[in-house]
Amino acid sequence: MKYIKICFILLIIYSVQLPAREANSENQAKNNSPFDQSKFVPDISFIADISYLSRDLSNDSYSALHIPGTYFPLGHINEDGHSHAGFNSLRGFNFNYGELSLYSIVDPYFDLFAIIHLVPEHAGLEEAYITTRKLPYGFQIKAGKFLSSFGRINEQHTHSWNFTDRPLISNLLFGDEGLNEIGGRITWVAPTNFYLMFGTEILTGDNEMSFGTASFSDPNRIIKVDEDEGPNLFIGYARSAFDIGETALLLGISYAHGSTKAEHDFSSTSGEGVAMKANSNIIGGDFTLKHSFDAVRYLSFQAEYLYRLMDGTYYTRDSMNAVNIHDLEKNQSGFYFQLIGKLGLQWRAGVRYDLINTNDAKIDGIKNSFPENLAKYSAMIEYNPTEFSRLRLQYNHDRSKYLEPNIYKPFSEIILQLNVTIGAHGAHSF
Amino acid sequence: MKKILFLLLFAMQLAYSKQLNVVTTYPYIADVVKIIGAEKVQVTALARGDYNPHIIIPKPSFIVKVRNADLLIINGAQLEIGWLPPILKQANNGNVQPGEKGFLDLSNFVQMIEIPASVSREYGDVHPEGNPHYYLNPANIIKIAHSITNKLCELDMVNEPFYRANLTSFVQNWDRKVAGWKETLSSIKCKKVIEYHKVFDYFLQAFDINLVGTLEPLPGIPPTTKHIGEIEKLIERERIHCLLQDVYNPHDASKYISKKLDLKMIILPHDVGAVKEADGIFQLFDEIVRRLTQ
Repeated sequence: MKYIKICFILLIIYSVQLPAREANSENQAKNNSPFDQSKFVPDISFIADISYLSRDLSNDSYSALHIPGTYFPLGHINEDGHSHAGFNSLRGFNFNYGELSLYSIVDPYFDLFAIIHLVPEHAGLEEAYITTRKLPYGFQIKAGKFLSSFGRINEQHTHSWNFTDRPLISNLLFGDEGLNEIGGRITWVAPTNFYLMFGTEILTGDNEMSFGTASFSDPNRIIKVDEDEGPNLFIGYARSAFDIGETALLLGISYAHGSTKAEHDFSSTSGEGVAMKANSNIIGGDFTLKHSFDAVRYLSFQAEYLYRLMDGTYYTRDSMNAVNIHDLEKNQSGFYFQLIGKLGLQWRAGVRYDLINTNDAKIDGIKNSFPENLAKYSAMIEYNPTEFSRLRLQYNHDRSKYLEPNIYKPFSEIILQLNVTIGAHGAHSF
Repeated sequence: MKKILFLLLFAMQLAYSKQLNVVTTYPYIADVVKIIGAEKVQVTALARGDYNPHIIIPKPSFIVKVRNADLLIINGAQLEIGWLPPILKQANNGNVQPGEKGFLDLSNFVQMIEIPASVSREYGDVHPEGNPHYYLNPANIIKIAHSITNKLCELDMVNEPFYRANLTSFVQNWDRKVAGWKETLSSIKCKKVIEYHKVFDYFLQAFDINLVGTLEPLPGIPPTTKHIGEIEKLIERERIHCLLQDVYNPHDASKYISKKLDLKMIILPHDVGAVKEADGIFQLFDEIVRRLTQ
């Protein structure tokens, strides 16, 4: 009797399921909804970057490190005081970032690209910009928030770098996040038979290390500097490329001009404060050479030189709120070069040399020399199981940083980095 | 100074010449375009035929070639996905963007094989559209020659009779050659072969040769010791005619197996220019057939 009952129940279930199944397969053929938009989902990808770090320096000392004279002439650390909140800052495990990227063609006229940068505490819009698809005569316009095309490494995304960290000079002039601005860009590719392109960018100009627009005044309002409204940073760059046999050569020059307004405790009534109002000019030159030995192996050499001249006025406020005005002229320059070899389908290795070679400030015509010839040495080896996963071991010996007050502090670190990508992620350029 | 001016003029002239400027991703497409378009077109291939078609380095010199192109012809089926998109983006040429008149994706005109039922990167470097090396089936060369001809006629209507006549004679020659290849290959018909990467599947299918395994455990993943062990067992179990190796992947694993199990290893060209002898689309197939039956 029991068995008959079970059989009966099974029969009912089966008979109920039968038409349901048929309906299902019919739906699949027709697609579920007449308003289905799933085919229009943009390319979505997510990148995770995790590292394990070992360093001969405590986390506290590391976070207090700085390069003297880089922002305010008397060697204050950055405005926000946390210049090392960047990647791989802690001993042990670091979750450096998650990166959600979206890309799609908007319509026949525009593409839209967006990157949402995620760290455990917060999310931020790293980039979101449109580019035009079919302007005539070799022109293209980009608008939104994006990494500037100044130089070589700045517009490259972190996960496509050959080392886990930004080169010293790029870090020094543009900060941990690079030159990432809101504005527009026009590029033109010349109709020549060798690669020649020109680009110009008009940007807001709000960078933690080189450009600023904010207003400031001292408590007695003797010095009053207004906010810059509208675009403040203008960039021009040119690139050219040649092939010599199996060697590809890419050359670039860049120029940036913008105003720098910044203050540190200048408006407050207690203690001492400083402020400055200057024009910053940065020039950059870059050189990339990639030689292919065969279908897999290559050797690439990349070098970039950056020079910044800041020219303007430097204000100091003492504890009695008396303000002094000085002439300011600052020079900083540096370069890096790196040699990367792709040894096999899954292996790459490389070395990098970083140097800050000029670092001085003239205040009222008197030269203040800051430490110069600050170097950093890096070496890395990476194993890429596929193009979607990368395991990298990097060694850094950094001889560029000082501890407050002016204690020279060279240090070494070893970083094991894992970088993985899922989803639909676009290919990288040269 | 005069010399520089002359060079510059020459450069401009190249860019603005009256011939239809066609850019193709791979050399085999360029050769078909050359046959159909002859002196009416100027054609350049971006990638080298002896390199891995999946991982071409996107050199900046490609950008200017695409910038000056009237027509860009690609293999499609995601073979170029790892290198062409940034070139296309940076070239600032609206006429050759996907969807425009000056863009031709040849994979739209052929029947793909090995279309995966489900797609996951767990299975290696799989192409959702199917195996992208479709042009190694000679029947597909006819199909792409037709679509190239139609495109050239659409962009350059004045020369339509010229292109059509070239297509007719190409198809005749090709059909005659295919009959010859079929006859030559009848000696190895239905024999079993192993290949390194799934490159020659279309060719093998077209000539009734049985593919029974690949040295790559998954597409794009280099051979592992474990997988090589399995392949060795397969070779011992079945009567395998030969081991096919492409020119661009490492040859070590194939050489090792070939030596250990005394199995013939044949290096085959996969594209025009992959080996010296394969300097045209006819010669590419000639050379594959010659090497297979040697």
